[in-house]
This record gives sequence, C-alpha cells and structure tokens, in this order.
Amino acid sequence: MKLLTHNMLTSHVKGVTKGYPLLIKATEVKVNEVDFNPQFVSRMIPKLEWSALVQAADQLGHRQDLPGDLVPDYEKNEDFLKKVHRVLLEVEVLEGCLQCPESGREFPISRGIPNMLLNEDEV
Amino acid sequence: MSSHHEDPAAEQTSPGDDPSVSSTCEADSAVITVTIGATVPTGFEHTAAEEIKEKIGADARISKDRGRIYFPITTDKLFQVHLLRSVDNLFVVVDEYDRYQFKESKEEMLMELQQLASKLPWKNALKVWELNRTLKKKKGHRKGGNAARAKPSGETGDVAAADAEQQAPPLETPPAEADAKTESAPDSEEAAAEAKLTKFRVTCNRAGDKHSFSSNEAARDFGGAVQEFFQWKADMTKFDIEVLLNIHNEEVVIGIALTEESLHRRNISHFGPTTLRSTLCYGMLRLCKPQVSDVILDPMCGTGAIPLEGAIEFNSSFYVAGDNNDMAVNRTVNNICHIQKRRAGKGSTPGLPIDTVQWDICNLPIKTSSVDIIITDMPFGKRMGSRKKNWDLYPSCLREMARVCRPGSGKAVLLTQDKKCFAKAISRMGGLWRKVLTVWVNVGGLHAGVYLLKRTSATFGQTPEDVHEPRGAADTQLEDRNDKELS
Repeated sequence: MKLLTHNMLTSHVKGVTKGYPLLIKATEVKVNEVDFNPQFVSRMIPKLEWSALVQAADQLGHRQDLPGDLVPDYEKNEDFLKKVHRVLLEVEVLEGCLQCPESGREFPISRGIPNMLLNEDEV
Repeated sequence: MSSHHEDPAAEQTSPGDDPSVSSTCEADSAVITVTIGATVPTGFEHTAAEEIKEKIGADARISKDRGRIYFPITTDKLFQVHLLRSVDNLFVVVDEYDRYQFKESKEEMLMELQQLASKLPWKNALKVWELNRTLKKKKGHRKGGNAARAKPSGETGDVAAADAEQQAPPLETPPAEADAKTESAPDSEEAAAEAKLTKFRVTCNRAGDKHSFSSNEAARDFGGAVQEFFQWKADMTKFDIEVLLNIHNEEVVIGIALTEESLHRRNISHFGPTTLRSTLCYGMLRLCKPQVSDVILDPMCGTGAIPLEGAIEFNSSFYVAGDNNDMAVNRTVNNICHIQKRRAGKGSTPGLPIDTVQWDICNLPIKTSSVDIIITDMPFGKRMGSRKKNWDLYPSCLREMARVCRPGSGKAVLLTQDKKCFAKAISRMGGLWRKVLTVWVNVGGLHAGVYLLKRTSATFGQTPEDVHEPRGAADTQLEDRNDKELS
C-alpha cells in the first residue's frame, strides 16, 4: 500500500463519522523506485490531505524532513517535489494493518493489499 | 481504396526463390513503402487510427470488415508498429481487391485461387516479413511458437514488443538463412537442412453469404498453390510464414502475418476467468483521456488488466485496482510484480503508479469526491455474476461511483454486456451521471457496450438519485421504451 492510496482511504464502519485518516501499524515496509514526474507531484499536492500524509509518513518512520505545512511556491521546488514523490509513491507498506481512529477496528494489510471488507454486522 | 493489382510480369518472386536466403542485391537496403494491416478490437477502430496517427504519423483507413484497419509505412520505420498498444495482430499486405468478382461455382473459384498464388506481388511483402523477423530477434523475443500461451503460474509467452520504453533498433540488411528457426543447438547438418526449408501455413478468414466455398477449402487450395509456387513446406503448427487470406464479402486481402501470437495478452501472466484483452483495456483508457495526476480507480479489477495497462501506457496518472475477491486481488498483485520484474530486467525503473486494495464496490472505503476517473469491466450476467444480481448491483455501484468521483470533472468508462440492466440503472441517475457516448464492442463473442459517462456537478447526497425511489408512472414508460429499443 502506497501512502498516496492511504491518503484516500477512510473507515466506513457503520456509525463512524471520524474514520479518517486511518492509523498505520506497519510490520514490513519497502521502498521501491518509481520514475519521478515533477508535474505529477505538483498537481497531486492540492488533491491531498497534507497533514494526513505527513502523519502517515511519520508513523512509518519515513517522514525524513517533510514539513508540517506546505512550502509556498512548491511547484518549482524540485527538491521538495522529489521528497513528496518518495513518500507518495516509493514507500510501501507490505505487512501490517490500518486502524479506524474512531472504532479501533483493524483492517489487515498483507502482500501490500489492505483488506477493507467489513463483516455483515459492521455494514 | 480502389482495386490495385500489379502487373504479374514486373515485380515477381520467381518460383524457387527461397525468401530466407538473402540476396546481396542493393535493392535490399532500399526503403520501400508497404501497407500494414492491423486487427483491433471491434468498436475501437477509430481509437487505433488515432494511435497510429500519433505514433507513426500515418493516416489509417478503416476497413468495412470490422476490426481491421490499414495504414502505409516505410520499411525504415517498421519497428514503430511494435509500439502500438491498440492492435491485436499485424500483417503486411501482399495485395488487396476491393471488389473481387467471385466465380459462381466452387470448382472455378478454387481454381482461380490457385492461379492467384503465382500472380501475386510477393516480393515486397516478403522483404518486410524478413525485416520484421530481424527486428523481433533484436528485441530478444522468445519464440515459444503457439504453445507459449500464458499459463497461470508460469512465465508469459513474451510477445514481440509492446514495451513503451523500448528504443528502436537500427535496421540492417536481412541476415542469411542460418537465422531461421533454430532455438537450441541441434546437430549441425540436420539443423542446416531444417533451417533452409521454409515452413508456412495459410489462415483463411471468410465472411459473407455469397461465397460458394468455405474458408477451409480456400485455405487448402490457395495453400497448395503457394506451396507449389515457393516450394515451401506446409506446417500448421510450426511455421515460419503465416499467409493470410481474408475474404469479407467482396473485399479480398492477402497478407503475411508479422505477429506470432496476438499481442493482446501482453501484460497478464496470471489470468482469471474473465481477463480482458490488453488492447481492449487500452481502447477504454484512451476513451477517458487520462491527464497528469488523475486518480483512476478500477473498483472491480479482476486480474488488474485495465489499471495495469494504464500504469504502463498512461503513466502520469495514479491507479488503484480494487476487488472484493481474494483470488482477484492476489492475481492483480502477481501481474503487477511480473511486469515490475520484467522492467527491472530491462534496466528500467521497476515501480509503477498502481496500488491494490480489497474492498466492496457498493461500500467503497474511499473519501467522497477524491477520484477523477472510474474505469471498469462490470460483471456480465453470463460470465460472472447473474442477471438478477446485476439488477441490484448496477444501481448501487453507480451510486457509490458517483459519490467518490469528483463532481463536474469526473468521468467513468464502463464496459458491460448487460445493456438492458445498465440502461435502466443509468436512466435513473441523470442527476449524477450524463451519458456522453457508447462504443459497441465484442468481448469473447459477446456483444457489449463501453459507456463513457461524465459526472455532473451536483454534490452527492443532494440529488433524488441518492435515495431509493419508488417506481412512478413516468419511470415505467421510459423503461418500456428503452426495453423496446434494446430488444
């Protein structure tokens, strides 16, 4: 699971209103090389929940020096964009789980695949 | 295009000329123009023509015979055809007849086909065939012959190209006959003798109700004449040259195949029961015109064919492949890993902009309005799911898809065979989805539709569609009319 995906995932357990962002408990993380496209990164940033991204990177110990707030004029800052690129696309959680912040329900991650299926009573 | 038939006396390959023996004539390195024929998924002929214009710069002509397009190319640019993602098979045209006058009787017709073999302008087409073989060898193409169909747990039969990163190899004059099909290193004398003998087969596709003969008969008789003329050996399974005889009503095209296996299974090594052809996936992706940073979801991804094709070919977007089925998500990950290993092996950056999640399409764990494009193959009543299930599934899907899709700019490209069910479901969703166009395609022999939808700018949760509505009189009338149109 990449952190870009994590940024979009939310808990949909019945009755939960504050199911975002999911907490990450990772037991195996991998870094994979992905081609850097600065335009992709700079256009993706406005679509993201920035604080959730930073928090997630932090939980994995891969925050490095990503700032808590967006730097102004980031579109032209290639160094910054490269850092964001790494965190969005290159860091992957292979094993672990995602936890709903409100209900505590855990969704396992195995082979990089989060299993978000709910049981009948949770729907 | 008008009938064009060259003077048989002029450009003729004389009998006894074995094309696998190269001549040292200067004309071999001269650039010539030929017509290439391509088979594409029916319904996506225009998409393929667009890709050809974009990547090769040629104007493609769409044949009346559905699923076929033709375009001119010079031999120095031949390698480019292997970069096309929308074509299933490629062949070089030997000759074509727009309005072939078929003889009335079967005997006369078959006799004519036999005579045709010796009159056709084979030379240029054979040169292109030879050149193409060289190109394939350079790419390290593994010749598995017909047996190399992808197996569930094994390797892919690596087909001739289709990797967008491949650089064009420089062209050389065709090599000598020793290059003919010898995979391992057998006894030298036997190998040399085997190698000298060119093996061929004829494949005939015939469509139309005014012919007095069958495709088998035509293939047999034409093939016999070809064998006689060239002194090649006929072999239906282990052939070097595949001659194509395509007859569609009055249109007759003779060609030589340039692709061994269909290119359409190129990305998938782990198949599922309903895996889509990559060429069809490519056609669907082109339809939604992925932009830089678009978030693209396939919420019923099966083995991941669509998002994987996207991640390779339209790689400035991000793909999330999802399914509720255990085997499906695992196969998707296996397919992704397979491609990444292949890329790493070729020295490219392995990682792809794609991720896999296990989820329920009717209750997506995705934030509202966070997705730009939804592209998927919806379950067909016959191959997966059931008609009754689709009745309930389609409206729920469309609603959930509308929720996660960005209002105003969002799009959906949905493939389904259950046109009735889909039309009914969409007719009640005018507040959320607007139908832009439909492409009619053929999927495994079943007639299906690819629907391009635009997400309206209405916020989810504020239109009547978000709530289940009881059927009113107006709805019934609309449905009756739609039913009549579709039956």
